[in-house]
Amino acid sequence: MKQRADFIVYWGGNPAECHPRHFTKYTIMQKSKFLPRGRKDRTMVLVDIRETKSVKAADIFLQVRPGKDFELITILRALVKGQYVADEAIAETGLTRETLDDLVHRMKTCKFGCFFFGMGLSMTRGKHMNSAALLTLAAEMNAFTKFVAMPMRGHGNVTGADVIMRWQTGFPFGISFNRGYPRYNPGEFSTVDLLVRGDCDAAFIIGADPGATMPQPAIDHLKRIPTIVLDPHITHTSKLARVHITTAPQGIAAPGTAYRMDELPMPLKPALKSPYPTDEEVVRRINEAIAQKPFWLPEGSQPQLLTTIG
Amino acid sequence: MSLQIIENATCTFCGCVCDDINLHHDDLRIHKAERACVLGTAWFLNHTAEKKYPVALVDGRETSLDEAIEVAAGILHEADMPLVYGLSNTTCEAQKECAALADQLGGILDSHTSL
Repeated sequence: MKQRADFIVYWGGNPAECHPRHFTKYTIMQKSKFLPRGRKDRTMVLVDIRETKSVKAADIFLQVRPGKDFELITILRALVKGQYVADEAIAETGLTRETLDDLVHRMKTCKFGCFFFGMGLSMTRGKHMNSAALLTLAAEMNAFTKFVAMPMRGHGNVTGADVIMRWQTGFPFGISFNRGYPRYNPGEFSTVDLLVRGDCDAAFIIGADPGATMPQPAIDHLKRIPTIVLDPHITHTSKLARVHITTAPQGIAAPGTAYRMDELPMPLKPALKSPYPTDEEVVRRINEAIAQKPFWLPEGSQPQLLTTIG
Repeated sequence: MSLQIIENATCTFCGCVCDDINLHHDDLRIHKAERACVLGTAWFLNHTAEKKYPVALVDGRETSLDEAIEVAAGILHEADMPLVYGLSNTTCEAQKECAALADQLGGILDSHTSL
């Protein structure tokens, strides 16, 4: 991307304010062997519902009507394939046919295109269907040129969480172990849905503050059940929790590894010595304490692997 | 007092995880984060090695780490369907421990990704 991407689309994100060094370090501002003039050799498109500070950096800004991202992506997929699209359908997205034709032309003629999509796409109406549509569009673009898509990850090591869960369980998030083996079903095992339905009867929160970010019914359920929080600060969630344990902040006082959003692991170089234990140590000790207790099956024993005899 | 410098430190505030930050620090705090952006600078300078908060709280009461771990283990063990959630602002090593925790409990494991 840094070396070759000459067509960069930011969709539903505001990198100028949320990922300030993304432009300079990884994308549009970089000069490379293949793009020697740097910014001049690259085209940047921004798709968002309103004008943010990132607009200034963009060559083309497409202001899509709120909640119409999925429609826009579907229209683009049709236009890319040369299929018929009705005028009313385009009008609904708040854009014109000329703009979209131009965009499709640029997408097809670039050498290496990239979609970066943010929460403006993946967390608004349509949610994961929007992300899926954009990923499909990127895949389909490969019939014409090289095209990739990548989510703009927010908090530090959320990419690492995906990677670690995939490695340990085979699934990236929304996993249930309640049959003794991992099952994946977002919507059923994803936190907000789980809390809003009131399914879980205890919560262990680490490196997150759902008390500040989740919808009220979910927070209400967190208040009802015993909640345990591990965080470097007393957070909104700590205030409604039964147990709060202060831990050392990662990368400042806690060593370890963090994944960059392109899934590159980075070693952390802590500068300070914290008076608090690290997350890793606390969770390991809780694990050890639980291992002392009987297993959760009624018999209190670990399930045995069934082997066929003979 | 002269400051110690850590070269090419990693910033974990946002998903960019910039790994070229030079940190000027003493024992207590980081004074300067070279090459970090506005968000990164705030992140590094606002965390100190001071003991600002109690080690652990149980029902709002200050307590020792050992007791808090014991209470937490008890709560999680008693629960029928415990949820392990978050995992963003922490290291991969801790995340692995969390996966083991959810597995051992027969609970739910979920991250910010699903939000």
